[in-house]
Amino acid sequence: MSKERIGLNRRRFLKTAVQAGVCLAVPQVIPGTALGKNGSVAPSERITLGAIGIGNRGRYVLGCFLQEHDLKCVAVCDVRGDNRKRAKDMVDVRNGNKDCKTYIDMRELLARDDIDAVLIATGPNWHATAATMAAKAGKDVYCEKPCTKNIAQSLQLADIFRRTARVFQAGTQRRSLPNFAYAIELARTGKLGPLHTLHAHPGGLGTKMSGWFPAEPEPPREQVDWDMYLGPTAWRPYTRKLMNAFHFEKGGGMVGGGCLEWGSHCVDLCQLANDADDTAPVEYEPVNGQLHARYANGVKLVMRNEGWLPLGSCPVRFEGETGWVETGDDAEFGASSQSLLLRRGTKIPGYPADFHVRNFLDCVKTRALTRANADAACWAHIACHAANIALFLDRKVKYDPKKNEFIGDEQANRLRSEALREPWRI
Amino acid sequence: MIIKKQYFTWFVILIIIASSGWTIAQDLTVANLNQTDLITVLKSDAPKGEKAITCKQLAICGTEQSVPVLAPLLADEELASWARIALEAIPGPAPDAALRDALGKLEGRLLIGVINSVGVRRDVYAVDTLVLKLDDENAGVASAAAVALGHIGGEQAAKALTQSLADAPSGVRSAVAEGCILCAEWFLANEKTAKAIKLYDTVRLADVPDQRHLEAIRGAILARKSAGVPLLIEQLESEDQERLGIGLRSARELPGRDVTKALASELGRLSPDRRPLLLLALADRNDSAVIPTIHEAAQSSSKDLRITAIEILIRLGDVTCVPILLETVTEDDTELEQAAMETLVRLPGKDVDKDLVARLPQAKGKLQQVLIELAGQRQISEALPAVVPSLYDTDSGIRSVAVETIGIIGQDQQTADLVKLLQKTNNSEQRAGIRKALLAVCGRCGVKCIPHLRPLTQSRDNELHMIGLRALAIIGGPDALEAVKSAIESDEPPVQDEAVRILSNWPNNWPQDSEAGQTLLRLATSAEKMSHQVLGLRGYFQYIRGTEKLSNEQKVTRVVDLLPNIKRPEEKRLAIAVLAEAPSSSALELLTTFAEDSAVVEEAYSAMVQIAGQDVRGVSMDQRRQVLKMVAEKSRNNGIKRRAQKTLSGIR
Repeated sequence: MSKERIGLNRRRFLKTAVQAGVCLAVPQVIPGTALGKNGSVAPSERITLGAIGIGNRGRYVLGCFLQEHDLKCVAVCDVRGDNRKRAKDMVDVRNGNKDCKTYIDMRELLARDDIDAVLIATGPNWHATAATMAAKAGKDVYCEKPCTKNIAQSLQLADIFRRTARVFQAGTQRRSLPNFAYAIELARTGKLGPLHTLHAHPGGLGTKMSGWFPAEPEPPREQVDWDMYLGPTAWRPYTRKLMNAFHFEKGGGMVGGGCLEWGSHCVDLCQLANDADDTAPVEYEPVNGQLHARYANGVKLVMRNEGWLPLGSCPVRFEGETGWVETGDDAEFGASSQSLLLRRGTKIPGYPADFHVRNFLDCVKTRALTRANADAACWAHIACHAANIALFLDRKVKYDPKKNEFIGDEQANRLRSEALREPWRI
Repeated sequence: MIIKKQYFTWFVILIIIASSGWTIAQDLTVANLNQTDLITVLKSDAPKGEKAITCKQLAICGTEQSVPVLAPLLADEELASWARIALEAIPGPAPDAALRDALGKLEGRLLIGVINSVGVRRDVYAVDTLVLKLDDENAGVASAAAVALGHIGGEQAAKALTQSLADAPSGVRSAVAEGCILCAEWFLANEKTAKAIKLYDTVRLADVPDQRHLEAIRGAILARKSAGVPLLIEQLESEDQERLGIGLRSARELPGRDVTKALASELGRLSPDRRPLLLLALADRNDSAVIPTIHEAAQSSSKDLRITAIEILIRLGDVTCVPILLETVTEDDTELEQAAMETLVRLPGKDVDKDLVARLPQAKGKLQQVLIELAGQRQISEALPAVVPSLYDTDSGIRSVAVETIGIIGQDQQTADLVKLLQKTNNSEQRAGIRKALLAVCGRCGVKCIPHLRPLTQSRDNELHMIGLRALAIIGGPDALEAVKSAIESDEPPVQDEAVRILSNWPNNWPQDSEAGQTLLRLATSAEKMSHQVLGLRGYFQYIRGTEKLSNEQKVTRVVDLLPNIKRPEEKRLAIAVLAEAPSSSALELLTTFAEDSAVVEEAYSAMVQIAGQDVRGVSMDQRRQVLKMVAEKSRNNGIKRRAQKTLSGIR
């Protein structure tokens, strides 16, 4: 991108001015005609992208990036040969050439001076480490969720993106979808009355970790680079059983998985509804198959897998003293009163990432805060990790969001972090 | 006794191993973790996989006693990372000592790992050794040492890093600069601001990657507090886009009202393309001192800046910005108008509502229209008395927006107004708008609206009559039902058709509206028009499903009575749906008959599985098994087949 990279035309501003903490009830679609003649952008003004970790989810999000007129992907990186080839083919088709470079080791991609931003969709094991490496290398980052493996990583992520002043967007794209944004606006603007309870579907509440299987013959590096696949997680021998990066070490640490799956979306939305992007609940307690948490402002957060209206996956429900609203991935609503839904806006079901990607690219240009910036992601993830710790310990824990420690609970405090495998560090 | 104790220990080990499991997603519990048993595993010849999991468990329950068995694993390429998980977590000086000891024994990646752990634990006693490692030939080791020193912080670390900054190999310099910046943060946290500033300034001038320069600039600005404003402004004015970026970031972070004011005054001096960027940054400061600047920007000559400011007002604005927004919304510029309207709709606060309502009586023309629309969009019920007169305004635009708003905030009394308006116009577009508003009001206010609807339900204008019927259908209840039933006897075919359509979808207030059942049955069995028979049948099935007064057997009997009228697959499917929800022996029997029709066989099978899966009075286990077995064998739908098989296995 040229020296002209920072700045947007008027229409773009119209769509980016409300990003920090305020949601739009309409999708952020920017007509190509508003961006220049026929929507064209000079090559020198395009944001150059490198994509790291491009399996199924990575290719979906990469596809969202490739739709954007002001973006050019120049490199892809994956530890798997088949993923590299498929992603390169995608990019080459879009670019109309064969120039997309492929890498096994993300450090080589990050060392390129001509790359402005990276998409990180490696799998949760790598997310925080790769994102912070990218920031230190001067890249802006769109990172799939869950973004961190534990509380310490969440705090480090926020610290490093503040220090480096790089743009960060967590892949929690529901923040950019109109139905969720509308429900959040109802909650934040007092339309439901003072909030008392928020409900989030965690997509599971069992705490798990990836195992150590008997060794299998390791494939050639070009096919699978097992060492890079393991990356920052503790060593174990190669096995095909662990090659699903999407699930491998999800959440990580002793208490991986659990509510990180959908919680990084749904708890995140509750955080925003409660105007709590800079804090997390102070109490967490497993109660009859649910996880009940409480914020310092008294608002209760209930993570539960059952009892939802049929509104699709990743539902949330916000309850205030005068009304409630519930929505999910079908983009339909349940509400205490139809009058609450008067301005519900465009229905966009199916949780597409396009709008979220667009918000990221706009912020790369304006250096503004993204909707799911590193601080917001940090606290939403801390809420999920703390909930997982309560579930793992099977008892109530109290958390101090100022000191970032569990109160009088050494076991819980030990679970806040986990050593990274050599040579990786954050 | 000793033997018994050994057996017991191994038993515990086996339990631990078994519980750690060999699955992708292992369940681990904290209960019953015993350090002594875990240490025994590490000392044993247990496979490495088991030792690995044991290290993780020691991270939770381990004490200094575990350190001697964990320390040797630091030299094991496969277990070192697992051992460090425990050593980083265990409190006390023993893990620090073990890690320091390893610093002198290891090399390469294993050494880097230990250095990283020392940094995480912020072991000040390791500084001397880490300083020496800054000169390590292995760039990875030297870089890790630099960052670890940064995490530990302190005078000695800062001094060593500063010295290294000048002469470190290029591959290490970036990490040394990172260490310096971390040390500067340590100085700030320990109220040694001057030292922090000096360190940041050193990095700013050093030959290091530009990203490190940017971080140092940010740090230098923030550390200087208000005195950092000139340096900040220098970045905002820089031709270099990265410096502009760091300036914008710092503008969001540097605290202080004086800073807000200084940056606000800089706004006018920046090039026009950068003003909106700074305005966005100012807005993120959450400082009310920025409000006058935003108001000013919202009235500036630059359209870009105006729109940005107007959008910002959604979250920062209050009642004081209403005049600016109302002025903007009445301008002849679509983009500005839309932005201002969006902000006015979303601007929070009851005082905003009050302000808008107060302006309504005096407003004329476009402003009046805007205020009425806002009364609706913001759902300001207090605006109702001021909006109602506008229903009769001479300006059709104002009438139209008033009708829309009444649809949102109107009460039952406004039903009469809307009915009058309907009677006065033949314009189809206007009627559609009024109809929409009328139905909305009726849906909200219910039976209180019925008396006001009489002019419509008694109208000779078929269209008006039908609108009245629709309104009644939304309200529901006995009176509304009676009116709809009367309309079925109407001489006017369109009215009659509409009444039948409405009745066939009569979903309201069952079982209170059970009277609908008889009329629907009559339509199903003896209506003159075939379309009325079909609608009657569908409505009747819906009625049967919804009513709570009928037992399962009675519901099946109702379906049996109607069998001569159930001819098409569509109606058969509705009948099957009734039977599926009326589990009984007779329902199963009837479903078997439906299953003979290839058009609905799978629906019938599905319903049979649903019933056979339940413990139903009068249906024996053998009957249930036979049904399920038959469906499992005959169904061509894999989903139904699987359900049948699964249900069958469940009742064996």
